[in-house]
Amino acid sequence: MRYALPLLLSSLALPALSAERTRIQVTGEIIDTWCYYSGVMGGPDAVVGSAHHTCALWCSAGGIPVGLLAEDGTVYMVLKIAQDAGSASGDTQLSLAAHTVTADGMVYERDGLNYIVVSEVVSDMDIVTPTHEDYGTVPPFSFPEPK
Amino acid sequence: MMRKLTALIALIASPLAAQDFSEGSEARSWNLYAEVPARFEARVVDVLCELSGDCPENCGDGTRQLGLIRTADDVMVLPMKNSQPAFTGAVAELAPFCGQVIEVDGLMVEDADLNARNIYLVQRIKAGGADWIKANTWTKKWAEAHPEAAGKGPWFRRDPRIKEIIASEGYLGLGLEADAAYAEENF
Repeated sequence: MRYALPLLLSSLALPALSAERTRIQVTGEIIDTWCYYSGVMGGPDAVVGSAHHTCALWCSAGGIPVGLLAEDGTVYMVLKIAQDAGSASGDTQLSLAAHTVTADGMVYERDGLNYIVVSEVVSDMDIVTPTHEDYGTVPPFSFPEPK
Repeated sequence: MMRKLTALIALIASPLAAQDFSEGSEARSWNLYAEVPARFEARVVDVLCELSGDCPENCGDGTRQLGLIRTADDVMVLPMKNSQPAFTGAVAELAPFCGQVIEVDGLMVEDADLNARNIYLVQRIKAGGADWIKANTWTKKWAEAHPEAAGKGPWFRRDPRIKEIIASEGYLGLGLEADAAYAEENF
């Protein structure tokens, strides 16, 4: 019992000081995480796919974190894609905005959020969800009226 | 002894679980469904470095996502947005403070339905003895970095990379023919 309290206190602190790490292969869409989580543009179904492609480009170029929205609904914050660690407005993530990809990488969990370091994009299926058929474009002004 | 130990655990754990960071916050509402004002002290870190040990100088000089490790509970908050309603992130605002302990004020987004936790919109920053500064410098820094894109209209209509992708893939990302069909139906 003499050592139980220090041991207990150190074990309580451990989860906040470290992140679990797991290798996975996951398929999902490269999304704009702010619009997805904040609801600022509407519900989660409206801020994916073709409806949100242009806004996803804006947010990715603007330095908002991109995520990989897996088929089971889990969001992985993308920190690196292959050799490109530009997770704030980087070229590789920008080129994949709204694309559905299969990625191989390492997942870290910290304080309720999942992060992924993608070692390889195994396949890029481009945009597979034609959400503009249901929602138009989100936001509407992302598709300007032709002159 | 075990009863005392259990009580001690509860005493230690409960303040962290129930901690309210809204006290003293002057954050402006964005009328978001799950927003909560939050003002707290935190250390600015490179998220990739913190998680994986891949640590370049100066947190990657603004190219990487940055985290805020809260002093009160060691939780890593992910600041996604600055205070500008212009599709702009928080890295440009926080990068000058890499490795420093600062105070931030803004909105936390906590939405259990979407598993959103520890996500943050930073509105103002206080470092050291300096006054609060607004976290709204992204567009100014973009303009300084892109003199070739000067002109009227918001930055995201003028950004060279965005324009190049839209020119080839269209606004819908499905090709220019799909864009033409959409425009025909909707304008």
